[in-house]
Amino acid sequence: MVIYLIIMFAISLVYFASAERLVTYIRLIGIQGLLLCGIAILELIEINTVNLIFIIAETIIIKAIVIPYLLRRITKVSGVTKVHRQAMPGFYLVILSVAALFASLILSWSLRNPYVDVIYMTIALFSLFTGLLLIVTHRLIISHLTGFLIIENAVFIFSIAVGNEMPMLINIGILLDIFVGVLILGFFGLRLKPYVNELTMLKD
Amino acid sequence: MLLSFFIISVLICLAMLLFRNRVLTRILMWGYALMHIGLSVYAWTRLDLTELRFFTYTGTGILLLSVLSILAIPVVYHGFIYTAGDDTRRFNIYHASLVALMTFMTGAYLANGMTVLWVFVEATTLAVASLIYHDRTAVALEATWKYVFICSAGIALAYFGILFLGFIYGREDAASLSFTSLATLVNQANPMYLRISFLFVLTGFSTKMGLFPMHTVTIDAHSVAPPPISALISTTLMNVGFLAIFRVYTIFSTSSIFPFMNSVLIIAGLLSLLVASGYMLKAKHLKRMLAYSSLENMGLVAIAIGVGGIGYYAGILLVILHSLAKSSMFFQMGQLSRVLHTFKLDNCGRYMKLYPSGAMVLLLGMICILAIPPSGLFISEFLIFKGMLANNQWALMISAVILLCFIVYAMSTRIMHILFSSPRNADENIEPGKVNGIETVSQYILLGIVVLMCFFQPSFVSDLINHGISLLPK
Repeated sequence: MVIYLIIMFAISLVYFASAERLVTYIRLIGIQGLLLCGIAILELIEINTVNLIFIIAETIIIKAIVIPYLLRRITKVSGVTKVHRQAMPGFYLVILSVAALFASLILSWSLRNPYVDVIYMTIALFSLFTGLLLIVTHRLIISHLTGFLIIENAVFIFSIAVGNEMPMLINIGILLDIFVGVLILGFFGLRLKPYVNELTMLKD
Repeated sequence: MLLSFFIISVLICLAMLLFRNRVLTRILMWGYALMHIGLSVYAWTRLDLTELRFFTYTGTGILLLSVLSILAIPVVYHGFIYTAGDDTRRFNIYHASLVALMTFMTGAYLANGMTVLWVFVEATTLAVASLIYHDRTAVALEATWKYVFICSAGIALAYFGILFLGFIYGREDAASLSFTSLATLVNQANPMYLRISFLFVLTGFSTKMGLFPMHTVTIDAHSVAPPPISALISTTLMNVGFLAIFRVYTIFSTSSIFPFMNSVLIIAGLLSLLVASGYMLKAKHLKRMLAYSSLENMGLVAIAIGVGGIGYYAGILLVILHSLAKSSMFFQMGQLSRVLHTFKLDNCGRYMKLYPSGAMVLLLGMICILAIPPSGLFISEFLIFKGMLANNQWALMISAVILLCFIVYAMSTRIMHILFSSPRNADENIEPGKVNGIETVSQYILLGIVVLMCFFQPSFVSDLINHGISLLPK
């Protein structure tokens, strides 16, 4: 069952590269939150119940509800609906995304270790690369925020892989979630201009 | 003691935010600064002892904690002057954030495990964000956004590095991820994991240390933040980033990736020097120039650690002295802006005539920062070059010397212009402000310590530096 959820998570990452509308981004972020919740339930069954409930609540409330809600508000305020108007065309992004998937697979295979599942490492690295790709190739601030959220999901997947023995690592990852959800999205997302190249007051 | 310190700090923050009373805030701030000094004094008597399970008074940690304590008094003093015109709400938010920042930095200095260190570093981002945004201007918003976004991404990358550490040994062996447990197991680890972990940690914590390639956010943040906050984050907060990287470096130094780490640090340091020299030559904003100077110094620290041997001692000495000298320069920037009403280089001039005591701080600060004798930084930079010669790293030495020459030229010509030349774009309608010369006393004291360290390094400081580097290969 977990393997299907992980594969769906990987598909959602490839879909990010081809998506052209911000509403698709927001839906994908919400879906990723739900998938992570499912993965956490199936993988972390051995940890104590209170901790598990906390992690499940966090993935559902913060990742699947609060963050998509805040992203939707930012979209409404900024009035921007499409992501590719000033960014790299989606076709090239899909190619880069697939290349990132292969690179993650090769890297994870070369780093295989009895203590960590190669699939988890592959998807975590793929997620990290996808997040970085969105940040580097897009000019919309909301795309950058989405890229950061994907990196944050990569951290969460990676921490789940050691979560049974180190629940503290997951809890700390959750701190990052709340930090991002509340501060970055809630505060800055609504105050800044929508495009990165409009933030030019600070330069030499 | 540490538990009391954390509890009292939280109570002070809450009291400032709940009771909107300026007098109470002033009393609490001075009380906090004194308490911080008390903690540092206490830490000196508790070397290598652990408290609250997650905190240890290590040599390097105590030194950097003491630097923070030394700076606490002038930061509070100049903070009161800077916020004098603010309404009570903003006044209190500023000081509550300042207490939070200093407390988080204290936790980061004393943390004895990767996860606890990471939590405190992440927390400093929150406190700093509030302080950078203090003026509520569009520029402040842009700088805060960039700082929070890049630091958060950096912190996430650093966390990736920590998770790689968790995978190295098997799950049970290093469950706490404490520095001690990791150090005992490092030789059994897969070197590839160590390399990846080090790269992630270096990149992630470079956002705090201000090293290339993550330096841009610190430059923006330091140039926009209120001057007393720039003084703190351009020194002690950078030291937090340095300490995080230095801790991981120390743990991994007994493994086979030791030469790899040295090469990476030297490359990052040299590129930092290159960027700093290039941008200082075209700098037109005084605080940005000082921020690039911090990049230069952190680059030198990275090179010093990469060079090894005597470089370790020199690197830590440079971190300490740079903190004292650079903070005095940033404190002076606050007064300069009140006299000249600008940070733009073209609008500055005749400062020696308008405010002689402040101008002398700039002159002495420039001598100290550029490591010109009798600056204590001269000793540390001299030792770094001595280490390069000992290792026959001629190309590195020549490159560093050339880049430092550019930096010396860029900074000295700009400071001399401010002190003695007429402004290029003078606005005749703006009257120069008046600032009491007594405000420079703390800056002279800080610079005096830097000069004193050129001639005499007290044994309690050198012993503690040597203690901090005792685990590193000779």
